[in-house]
Amino acid sequence: MSSYQETEDFERDFREALEDLQVNNRYDIQNLTMIARENTEHALAISQVLQDHLKRIAPHKKLPSLYVLDSIVKNVGTPYTLFFGKRLFQTYMDSYASVDMNTRRKMDEMLKTWKEPIPGSIDTRPVFPPDVTRPIENALIKARTSAMHAQQQNLRTEQQLLGRGRSMGQPVPYRETPTPPGSGYRPPSQASGYPAEHAASMANGSPHGHPTQPPSHYPLHQQQIPPTRSTPQPPASLHAFQPLHGGYSMPQSGISVDALTDDIQRLITAFKAEVSRNPHDPSIQTRLKALLDLQSLLQSQNLPQDQLVLVKNRIAELAVTIRAPPAQIATPVPIPQPVAVAPSPAAAPKVSLDSLLGSGALAALLARGSATPQVSTPQPPPATVAIRSPPPQRVEPPKVAAPQADPMSLLNMLRKAGMLPATTPSSGSTPVPNVAPSVATPFPLPVHGMTPPSLENLTGDIAFKASSLKQYVFRPHLLSFMYEALGPQCTQCGRRFKTDEEGKKKKTAHMDWHFKVNQRIAETEKRGQHRSWFIDEMDWINSRETIDEDYVAPTGDSGAQGSAAKAPKLQYIPVPDDPMLANSVCPICQEKFETRWLDDAQEFVWPDALRVGDRIHHASCHKEAMGSSAVGSLYSRNTPEPVLGKRKAEVSRSHLEKCTAYGLRLTEPKQDELTGIRGKLKMEAA
Amino acid sequence: MSIPGLGIAPTAATPTAAPTSTATTTIVSLQPFWEWRFEVPVSSSLTIRLLSGTAEKDGTELAPSTPYTFSGAKSKINTWKGCELQVTAPTPDAYDAYTSKPTADETPMVSYLNLHMKLEGLRAAAAKAIGNGEGDMGPRILVAGPANTGKTSLVKMLAGWATRMGHQPMVVNTDAAQGMLSLPGTLSAAVFATIMDITTEWGGIPSSGPVATPIKLPLAYYYGLSSPDENLRLFKSLLSRLAVAATSRLAEDPDVKKTGMLIDTRTPNAAKGGYDLLAHIVAEFSVNIIIVLGSERMTAELVRRFSGQRTSLGECIHVVGLDKSGGVVERDAAFMQGAREATIREYFFGDVRRSLSPFTQSVAFDGVGIWRIMEAPTTATADSDDFYNVSSREQLLEKVEPSLMMVNCMLAVMYASVHDAPETIRDSNIMGFVYVADVDEKKKRLKVLAPVSAKLGDRPLLWGSYPEPMVSL
Ligand SMILES: Nc1ncnc2c1ncn2[C@@H]1O[C@H](COP(=O)(O)OP(=O)(O)OP(=O)(O)O)[C@@H](O)[C@H]1O
Ligand SMILES: [Mg+2]
Ligand SMILES: [Zn+2]
Ligand SMILES: [Zn+2]
Repeated sequence: MSSYQETEDFERDFREALEDLQVNNRYDIQNLTMIARENTEHALAISQVLQDHLKRIAPHKKLPSLYVLDSIVKNVGTPYTLFFGKRLFQTYMDSYASVDMNTRRKMDEMLKTWKEPIPGSIDTRPVFPPDVTRPIENALIKARTSAMHAQQQNLRTEQQLLGRGRSMGQPVPYRETPTPPGSGYRPPSQASGYPAEHAASMANGSPHGHPTQPPSHYPLHQQQIPPTRSTPQPPASLHAFQPLHGGYSMPQSGISVDALTDDIQRLITAFKAEVSRNPHDPSIQTRLKALLDLQSLLQSQNLPQDQLVLVKNRIAELAVTIRAPPAQIATPVPIPQPVAVAPSPAAAPKVSLDSLLGSGALAALLARGSATPQVSTPQPPPATVAIRSPPPQRVEPPKVAAPQADPMSLLNMLRKAGMLPATTPSSGSTPVPNVAPSVATPFPLPVHGMTPPSLENLTGDIAFKASSLKQYVFRPHLLSFMYEALGPQCTQCGRRFKTDEEGKKKKTAHMDWHFKVNQRIAETEKRGQHRSWFIDEMDWINSRETIDEDYVAPTGDSGAQGSAAKAPKLQYIPVPDDPMLANSVCPICQEKFETRWLDDAQEFVWPDALRVGDRIHHASCHKEAMGSSAVGSLYSRNTPEPVLGKRKAEVSRSHLEKCTAYGLRLTEPKQDELTGIRGKLKMEAA
Repeated sequence: MSIPGLGIAPTAATPTAAPTSTATTTIVSLQPFWEWRFEVPVSSSLTIRLLSGTAEKDGTELAPSTPYTFSGAKSKINTWKGCELQVTAPTPDAYDAYTSKPTADETPMVSYLNLHMKLEGLRAAAAKAIGNGEGDMGPRILVAGPANTGKTSLVKMLAGWATRMGHQPMVVNTDAAQGMLSLPGTLSAAVFATIMDITTEWGGIPSSGPVATPIKLPLAYYYGLSSPDENLRLFKSLLSRLAVAATSRLAEDPDVKKTGMLIDTRTPNAAKGGYDLLAHIVAEFSVNIIIVLGSERMTAELVRRFSGQRTSLGECIHVVGLDKSGGVVERDAAFMQGAREATIREYFFGDVRRSLSPFTQSVAFDGVGIWRIMEAPTTATADSDDFYNVSSREQLLEKVEPSLMMVNCMLAVMYASVHDAPETIRDSNIMGFVYVADVDEKKKRLKVLAPVSAKLGDRPLLWGSYPEPMVSL
């Protein structure tokens, strides 16, 4: 009870604090950030209060509150990024529309930093995920385009003001200042505006005693000094090898050799630091040398993009896996206590290039490719990678080959050295498992393309006896049934999907389910939620689990059911991220798809569109071509509303009967509640 | 800037969130078969991300680079193929962890995997037989063993692996001390067809609105005491009721039928008919495989009792003893109580990811019907003849007037009517719980906190002594 009351009190206090915030006083901003950090149990309330506040206040007061939002998401991160993310489009666009040009410029820059990882953080994901920032960017581009049409004569001004919003996939019509290649994802190296003492004082927890900076100096580009953050807080030296060039999520965007070279340069810097810490470890020097060679190799060769992608991923991977040395934040003011990073309870084994690649593997690799052959460090004998001897499993070093004057392709070399998987990683959403190469050998996997023998046969030899079940009989071939045989993982929840037709179909339904649920979570957040009653015995016995089907629970307001039933269900898909798909035409009528902003989904969508395999069709064209039954059965997510409506009606009727039987009087929300929870079940056809 | 009221942080988050604290990040590299074992108190938290490779917690795989935040947990992340984890915590001392580095022939995980694979073989056979119109069922496994041997973890693991392979196991919890998808004090069953939320014990209890990890719907019965021997008769009676429902579901739901059941148990109290109770569960749920963890003695005892016995379907009952994991930790009374309180709080108010709003209502004394769950008189034991004695049944519940004694207690709301006979009420499954916030004996009104804004109407309320009263909810 008290918690409920406290939330309300807390909300009120936070709101009042926000109302007091008039200028960009960074102590106030800091203070509010700290409050947000220390009260994450009220995160939802805080986010709502702040977003409501932003909506209400006068335009000239919006910026400080936006800075509060910015500071919270960067310094505290989750769950705030989640809560803010859901309504960020509205919050941002509403504010953007009302503020002056100066503020807009600041907002543009803020948005830019949201698309990037926190500088200095080893978390390589952007502050907000692309699906949050992209709609904003798209909307800004649209706004800019129409502004261009409207005011040709003011073109230059408009460009300056709006041209900063960068597009992620779509071509930008024009660009005021061409960005040098490779710097696309780097925060501008303008760090002067950021008060270094700010971070220092926050890290110290003593936010007093520094002169107030002018408002415009609020941290937008914290390149040099990372703000304190509860999430990864690497020491300054770690910046050196933070993969800034695109991260993992967008390997398809162009990679410049310069950018890669830069990254290698950062690694080199880091290694130099390591050399000075461990002057007696010759392997570090070897690797440092190897990196230098890799650098010159990159510069002397013209590698195709796909190989660069792999190299880049590899470098990025190396970068995040290097153990963070304990260090201090580089600030003008010396901080007494070091930032605790690495030393955690004896748990973390040291991760180094050695353990990743095998000692000297990179050096050996480069020795073959570069003009300067080098003595590789003594190698352990080709590891007989037996399961029973797990300690340091090393990648077998490349066989000594005649040094080639002109190394073939870096890609092949990396592959041969076991540094890259044999095949191109699919979509590159996860880094290549580092340990996998050394492990792969002992597992006899079912040959691809062959139907694996049935589990029944394979497990026939296992008996319900301790001797048969117990550990000394490890059956690695069976393990693959829980991994490879199931296909790759869903990146959102970890579930595996096969890559055959049926698996693809399931995956589509599954991703669709994620999408809908995420969308509905955003919707329902505004309404109060509450625990449900459990269902009754008979209902439970008769219920069947549904997978990747989600019943749209009726809203709390009466009448919502009626209107939902009336409104024709919009059949749409979000505009594809893939630029190829985004430019595709309907294979049936050969026309392009119309893009519309769908407020409910907070997203640009293609109405009347339907994904069939990897092609997108107009739903109406497809229906005509295939006959309506095909659409209905294959894409049950598009089941027309009446079916749901009917189910709803049935459920509520049976529910009402039961309630009457028990003499239970229900208030409105209660009724919806039970209906909702039961609706989650596919009821037995009554 | 003064912010009145903001200093009072209601939860235990305050001590760890001292302004001087610094977030700490560690990269953990695991080779195949290794386990990263961690303990994080309720007052702190810890976030794990899978950077590369594959990893699982109790049989459920982690999604790549997705943050999983744990609080009040003692558990492990294990890997079959090697992985790299990023671990973030608000302070370096926010948690305790170490890496166990066994080889394949040293970890009991391999035997659990073998067990799972054998079960998969049986499931495949059952599916084929069902396809041929035969009456086969997937295996029904009961996991037994002394306290703290990883029984619940094994059940979870087997459930996670089964769902990963596309099956729908029915998981049954017969340990009232720790609830499953419900509050402590209940016995429950649920079908797991979708991925589990690994950051909680078994996933969230159903609520209004959508959730990112699909909810599992439990069927729950209220025992209201912690140990079976406090009222063995009531306990057995509820178990039978649960078994009937679970078996009915199994018989009618083909996906569940071919997968079978996974049953978690509480350590039998040998002195108080604990083995009889196990035999009762084995019979009621037609268990055909009994796994005993970490006790040769108990294995021997169960082999003696069940060898040569057959289930009601005529199958052999297998009893196999397996080693317990060296990582299983003891959770002391304070930790367990903290966990129970967290579960109750979460039941009403939700968690960080989603806050819920319960409803307060004031009810007149004569507007409610409350029954007290009695502890059995000390003379009554697992005497099964007595069990069918009608007159003794009614002693299980006693109608009571609301009193100050109930303040801070949880009352179970039953799917029954106050006009029903006591045994009907007793055997009903529960709708949920209300919390008694206040009892005004003068005005004859009580104030309750309910998860749902509904009148309680004539729903009977059951007052047990477990979970224990919670002074500050
Ligand atoms: N290998 C492991 N490493 C670390 N922790 C583990 C491991 N296995 C289990 N645990 C933890 O140990 C605790 C006890 O395990 P579990 O609940 O599975 O045991 P149990 O036998 O069911 O206990 P109880 O007798 O209380 O029912 C849990 O917190 C669980 O997460
Ligand atoms: Mg247990
Ligand atoms: Zn998923
Ligand atoms: Zn068309």
